[in-house]
Amino acid sequence: MAVSAKARSSAFLERASVEARFHDVDPVYAETRDIRTLGFVLFLLADCILFSSFIFAYLYLRTSAPVWPPVVDGKQIEHLDVAFGAMNSIVLFGSGVTMHFALESWKNLKKAAFNFWIVLTIALGLGFLSGQAHEYLSAPMTWTGSSFGASFFTLTGLHGFHVFAGVVFLTVLAIQANRGVYTGSKYFGLVAGTLYWHFVDVIWVLLFFLFYLW
Amino acid sequence: MDVAAHPVEQHEAHDHIHPAPTGFIQKYVFSIDHKVIAIQYFVTGLLFMLIAGSFAELMRIQLWNPKGTFMDYHTFNQMFTMHGTVMVWLVLIPLVTGSLGNLVMPLQIGARDVAFPWLNMLSFWLIPVSGLILFSAFLLPDGAPAAGWTEYPPISIQQGTGGIFYCLAIIVVGISSTLTGLNFLVTIFKMRAPGMTWTRMPLFTWATFATALINLFATVALSAALLALLFAQAFNVPFFDPARGGSPILYQHMFWFYSHPAVYIFILPAFGVISEVLPTFARKTIFGYKMIAFSSLAIAILGFAVWAHHMFPSGIAPWLQIPFMILTYLIGIPTGIKIFSWMATLWGGRIQFTTPMMYALAFLGTFSFGGITGVYLACVPVDFHEHGSYFVVAHFHYVVGGGAVAAFFAGFYYWFPKATGRMLSEKMGHLSFWLFMIGLTGTFMPMHWLGLEGMPRRYASYEVFAKAFPDAVFWNRFESLSSSLMVLSVLLVAINIIVSLRSGRRAGNNPWGARTLEWMISSPAPYYNFKKIPIVLDKPYDFTQPLPYRNLDDEHQDPYPVPSEAALPRGATAAVGA
Repeated sequence: MAVSAKARSSAFLERASVEARFHDVDPVYAETRDIRTLGFVLFLLADCILFSSFIFAYLYLRTSAPVWPPVVDGKQIEHLDVAFGAMNSIVLFGSGVTMHFALESWKNLKKAAFNFWIVLTIALGLGFLSGQAHEYLSAPMTWTGSSFGASFFTLTGLHGFHVFAGVVFLTVLAIQANRGVYTGSKYFGLVAGTLYWHFVDVIWVLLFFLFYLW
Repeated sequence: MDVAAHPVEQHEAHDHIHPAPTGFIQKYVFSIDHKVIAIQYFVTGLLFMLIAGSFAELMRIQLWNPKGTFMDYHTFNQMFTMHGTVMVWLVLIPLVTGSLGNLVMPLQIGARDVAFPWLNMLSFWLIPVSGLILFSAFLLPDGAPAAGWTEYPPISIQQGTGGIFYCLAIIVVGISSTLTGLNFLVTIFKMRAPGMTWTRMPLFTWATFATALINLFATVALSAALLALLFAQAFNVPFFDPARGGSPILYQHMFWFYSHPAVYIFILPAFGVISEVLPTFARKTIFGYKMIAFSSLAIAILGFAVWAHHMFPSGIAPWLQIPFMILTYLIGIPTGIKIFSWMATLWGGRIQFTTPMMYALAFLGTFSFGGITGVYLACVPVDFHEHGSYFVVAHFHYVVGGGAVAAFFAGFYYWFPKATGRMLSEKMGHLSFWLFMIGLTGTFMPMHWLGLEGMPRRYASYEVFAKAFPDAVFWNRFESLSSSLMVLSVLLVAINIIVSLRSGRRAGNNPWGARTLEWMISSPAPYYNFKKIPIVLDKPYDFTQPLPYRNLDDEHQDPYPVPSEAALPRGATAAVGA
C-alpha cells in the first residue's frame, strides 16, 4: 500500500506529533489514515453520482409521463405498500444507530459491547434485505413492464446490492476486529465501514421518499 | 483490547523508502510504480491509436469514390463507431490522463508515488481488459457495435449484441477512469511536498487536479448511463422505450452529462502541458499563473452545465436551449483567458523551436480554431443547420486532434527524456510534427466547407451529395491522401522511440533547463523519486530568480538551470538560455 511515509508539511508534522504525544498515534499511521479517509469519502461521493444519475432518470421519466403511476395494459399500476416500506425503513435506520454504537464502543475499548452492536447491525441489515425480497415478490409491477418498474427495480436493486456488500463488509470487519487487526488507536477500517453504512442509510431515505411517499 | 497482536512498526517519517522490486513481473508487468504504469499506459494507448487510426484510414478509402464500394455499409458503420469509441476511451484517456498524469504529477508535487499505488495498477489493467471486450465484438454474428460512438437508442438496442459489448467495455474504462481520478485527487490533496501551497503548484498539476475532479464525478454518470443501456439491451428494461413510458432522449441527457465534461478530460491536461512547455522554451515566466490555474477549475465546473448543446436537434424544450447556448458561450471566457495568457508568455521571450515547443505553438492555432468553430456550433440556429454534417466532424477533430493530441505530443517529446533518460531525435521530431500538422489541416480543414455545403456525416456513400456539389470528390480525395500523413507521423514517433532507446543521447537531469520539481532528479527518476522530500519556497516559473527549492537530492543543482548540451542539435555549442 501507499504506506510509504511521506512527511509533507511542517504544519502536518506538528499536528501529528501532538497527536502522538497524547493519543499514542504514530505519525505515519495518522497520515495513512488521513489519506485513506479522504479516498473513501471521495469514493462515496462518486457512488452518490451513480445513484443520482438513476434518480435523475426516474424524475425525468416520471415528470414526462401523462399519469403516474403509469398505465400498463389498460390498468393503472397500484401504489407501493407504504406501511411495509416504512417498517423496512425503520429496520435499516435502526441498523445505522446500532452501527454508531458499535464504533463508539470500540473507541471506548468496550469489546463485548462492540461485538453485540455490530452483530445486531448485521442482523438488521439481513432483515432489511429479506424485507426487500418480500417487496420484490409482491410488487405490483415488473422490471420490464413500465418506466416505474424499470426505475424502481434498478434503483432499489442497486441499493440492495450496496446493502448486501455492506453486510459482507461489516462481517469482515467484525472478524478482523476480533482477530486483533484493529487497536485502540488504529481502526480506520471500522470508520470506513460506519461511513459506508450511514451512506447506504441516507440513500434509502431518498429512495423511500421518491418511491413510497411521493 | 488486544493491542499487542499486531506490533506497530515505528517508521521514521522522512526515510521510509521501499526497496525497488527485482522480479520481472513486479517490475514491468504488475508494477505499482507510477512511472512504469505511465509507460504501460503510453504503450497501450499508442497501440490502440494505431488500430483506431487504421479504422479511420479504411473509412477514408471508402470515401475515395462517392459510390463507396470498398466495404459494405454495415462494415462502414462498425468502422466509424469503433474509431470513435477506441480513440475517445482507449487512446485519449490512457494517453493524456493515464500516461502524462501518472508520470508527471507525483514528480511535480514532490511525492514518492500516488496515494494508492495498488489502485493505480488496477486502473491501468482495466484498460486492456476493456480493449479485449470491445474488440472481441468483431467476432459476433452481428459484428461490432455500429450505432456511432454515442450509441443512441433505439438504434443501439436494435443492432444486436454488439451494443452489449460496447456497454461492458466502456463501463470497465469508466471504473478505471473513476479510480484514477480518486487516486489523483487524494494524491494532490494530501501528498504535496512541504511548502507547495495551492498557488505554488505547477500548472500541469493544477490541470491534472481539475481533470481528476471530472474523472471522479462525471465518469460515474457515464457508467450509470451505460448501465441503463446495458439493462435495456440485455434485459429489455424500458428506460429508453417510449411504448413503455421510457424516453430515448433520456439516454442522451445521461450520456452527454458525462461526455461533454469528458472532452475536458482530454483537453485540461493538454492545457497543463502547454502551460509547462511554453515558459520553458520561451525562457520566461508564465503570464497569469493564477488565472490559468483557476480557469482550469472554471472550465471543469462549467463543463457540467453545458451538456444539452449536443442535443438541440433532438427535440429538447426551446426554453432549455437558450440557457444551454449561453452557458456554452461562457466556456469561451476561461479558455480565452488561457490562450491570451499563453500568448503573453511568448511575448518578448527567447523562443527555442524544439519539437515540444513546435507542437505547443501549433496547438495555440489549431486549438483556437477548433474552439471558435465550437462557439459557432453552440449557437442554436446554426447548430440546427450543421449538426448532422461534416462541420461537426471538422470541429471535433480540430479540438481533439489539433488540441488534445497535439498537446499530448508536446508533452510526450517534453517528458520522454525524464521517463527514459534518453533524448529523442529532434530531426525526426520536427519531421513528425510537420507530417502531423499538414495531415491534420489537409484532412479536417476541407470538412468545414463540405459540412457547410451540407455533406452529411456518418454516410458510407455520398453519391447524392456529390451530384449537388461536384467539388466534393476532389476534397474527399484530398482528405484521404492527407490523412495518411498523420499515420506516417505516428509511425515516425514509434521509430523515433526505438532509435532513441537504442542509441539516443543521455538526457541528464534537466535537458531543457526547466524549473519544475521533476527535473531536479535524475532521468529516469529513481524508484523512490526523491531521497529527501524537497521543500518548496515559491512558484517554479520565475526564470530571473534562483530555483525555489531546498533539500534537493542533487546538491549541486545550478540555481539558474539552462538547456543542456544534450537538448541542443548535434554540433551546436553556443549556450542558449536565460
